[in-house]
Amino acid sequence: MAGVRLEHVFKKYAGSDKASVTDFNLDIQDKEFLVLVGPSGCGKSTTLRMIAGLEEISEGKLYIGDRVVNDVAPKDRDIAMVFQSYALYPHMNVYQNMAFGLKLRKFRKDEIDRRVREAARTLEIEHLLDRKPKALSGGQRQRVALGRAIVREPQVFLMDEPLSNLDAKLRTQMRANISKLMKRLETTCIYVTHDQTEAMTMGDRIVVMKDGYIQQAATPDVLYNHPTNLFVAGFIGAPAMNFITGQLVEEGGSVRFRATGFNLEIPEGKAKSLRAKGYIGKEIILGIRPEDLHDEPVFIEGSPNSIVNASIEVSENLGHEALLYLTGLGKDNIIARVDGRSALREGQNVKLAVDMNKIHVFDKDTEDNVLEHE
Amino acid sequence: MNKTRLQQLEQLLEAPVVPKTVTAAEWEREGGKRNPEVGDTLHAKQGVRIITRVNGTELQVLETAASLTPLEERLLGYVLQHNNAKPVSSSSDLERQARRLGEWIQQSVTAGEWRAEVPDRMELRNRLFDGMVPFLLLCEQLDDKEPNYNELEKTIRTYISDETLLVPLREHEWLILSTDRVLTEAEADGDEALGHEETKEVLASLAEGLHQLVTGEWGGECHIAVGEPIVPSENVVRIVGTLRETIFLGRKFHVGMQVHLPWLVHLERLLSGIPEQVRSRFVEEMMGRPDLFTDSETISTLDAFFSMDCNVSETAKKLFIHRNTLLYRLDKIKHEAGLDVRSFNDAVLVRILLLLYKVTKRK
Repeated sequence: MAGVRLEHVFKKYAGSDKASVTDFNLDIQDKEFLVLVGPSGCGKSTTLRMIAGLEEISEGKLYIGDRVVNDVAPKDRDIAMVFQSYALYPHMNVYQNMAFGLKLRKFRKDEIDRRVREAARTLEIEHLLDRKPKALSGGQRQRVALGRAIVREPQVFLMDEPLSNLDAKLRTQMRANISKLMKRLETTCIYVTHDQTEAMTMGDRIVVMKDGYIQQAATPDVLYNHPTNLFVAGFIGAPAMNFITGQLVEEGGSVRFRATGFNLEIPEGKAKSLRAKGYIGKEIILGIRPEDLHDEPVFIEGSPNSIVNASIEVSENLGHEALLYLTGLGKDNIIARVDGRSALREGQNVKLAVDMNKIHVFDKDTEDNVLEHE
Repeated sequence: MNKTRLQQLEQLLEAPVVPKTVTAAEWEREGGKRNPEVGDTLHAKQGVRIITRVNGTELQVLETAASLTPLEERLLGYVLQHNNAKPVSSSSDLERQARRLGEWIQQSVTAGEWRAEVPDRMELRNRLFDGMVPFLLLCEQLDDKEPNYNELEKTIRTYISDETLLVPLREHEWLILSTDRVLTEAEADGDEALGHEETKEVLASLAEGLHQLVTGEWGGECHIAVGEPIVPSENVVRIVGTLRETIFLGRKFHVGMQVHLPWLVHLERLLSGIPEQVRSRFVEEMMGRPDLFTDSETISTLDAFFSMDCNVSETAKKLFIHRNTLLYRLDKIKHEAGLDVRSFNDAVLVRILLLLYKVTKRK
């Protein structure tokens, strides 16, 4: 097993002025499950392909374990890859598909057999070993693709959107299976996805990327509760964080946030920091997660300085929770996530309290989370 | 055994070594065993004889006057047995023959002799009479990372079948001819023979697998085109021309794709043949807004929409966006270009426009 380290890695394509990946620095620990997440074109797959050896590294160094592998061919990097388009070999049965990589490397037959059967048992596909890919369902094919990687017993697993071709139910199931599997195999895994739910539920650590740059690398908890900038705050979480542009004003010894429909008192600890950084009188972007807007009477009574009034444009009741799309607050719709048993309905006016201890304040120009940056 | 090896052996034994051919009957008459094998030795009048190859009843032997201890004899026999484990035709022989065939194919393609049949003088001709699946592989690894003939041949034989022939064509370009039995092997158990469409699907999967294999082993970029089964002795020149054209069109019109299928580039072939002036006029006349396709989001949306046969739900799924977001984007195109890609006629026009735009953009 081994860790992976990227030092000042760049990827520039010929004929393009802009780098696809810029100054990527990351130390991935041995046995860590690291997720690269970001929108299309953010450079996450390119980074993974550079680690795999499928793309040249334009600048910088890549280490697997203690070895610099920039110039090492993929087959000699001791990695195994699983991609979105899992091209199973159509003329081979499941057993042969899984055994192929080992056969190519001239492993002994009994060793191949041991590894294939063990991986098949782990993935619960023992009964499919004689079948051809054509006779498999999407989920079964995906498990075979995983099996093909597992039998290699590599130092590092690389997975690029491996669940994208599966339907929602199967994805959830496979998500849990992969997490369990990686924990059991105790192998370093680098996983690329565009899906923040996948990232949050699977990763020990998540790297959020945008335009070829790392935006933040942190545990799911830190990423959710302490996003470093507006992009990360908006990307992580579903429904996304609400953003309201408004002004910070000093009034009667306290700092208040004012925008259409909002007049909120900023807690003293945060206010002190905002004063020190010179944000009083300036426009900022306030971030509130949907679950930090409360309709419970107890909360409303206890938070007289953070009440908002709005009308419900749309209410989506999901059973265990309801999403309220509110108007009259800021320029865009604001979403509140409340208890599913709440009696609130479309067209109603509603009073909600903002949990001010959980708000985020972003600089309007730099988009940095000013309460997280010292 | 070649001359250099023979000389090396003479130096080692400090005595002349002469290659000879004897029959199995002679071998037995002189006291050798009945079913001789490579590595067997015999003490004859002229000196020690040792078998290097058995070819039916014909034995190739080396004869030396050197005096060898029983252990030396056994060691020499062991080495020869080990060498003999290799195929009769060594890979260097095969490579030489394949290169000759490749040169002939290249000359025929250049001369436009599409119907030329593989001539008798080609050693590999007798392997080209069965149905075979043709793949054209174009490797774009850095020179020092590109696989050599033996590595690639071994890998491809392991992947497809031992009945596979690797023929080097131009620099970085290889023709792979594989037995068409590979298609039968892809049938699921109990299935009937593959239909025409299923055959194409399997061929595409085989090409995808091959691409995955080559890039997974050596990295870098490579392009692969695959054709329907042919009898290479008659059609190899034509298929090389077709597959080359397929890769050319695929790279020109579908940047980013690495596996190219001849049956999916018909429209591209047609458009490629239209004179530049005519194409430009068409684009000018059709485009309401000349910057319509400069937006990468519009291009990726349309590409996905057409690749999903204009199915809105499937396209949204492929693009990881909500169906309504896709409908909004399609409405935007309709509003800006005056072309509604959900109607057949407009979809045809936009598809052609998009293909032509990609070519003009690359210039």
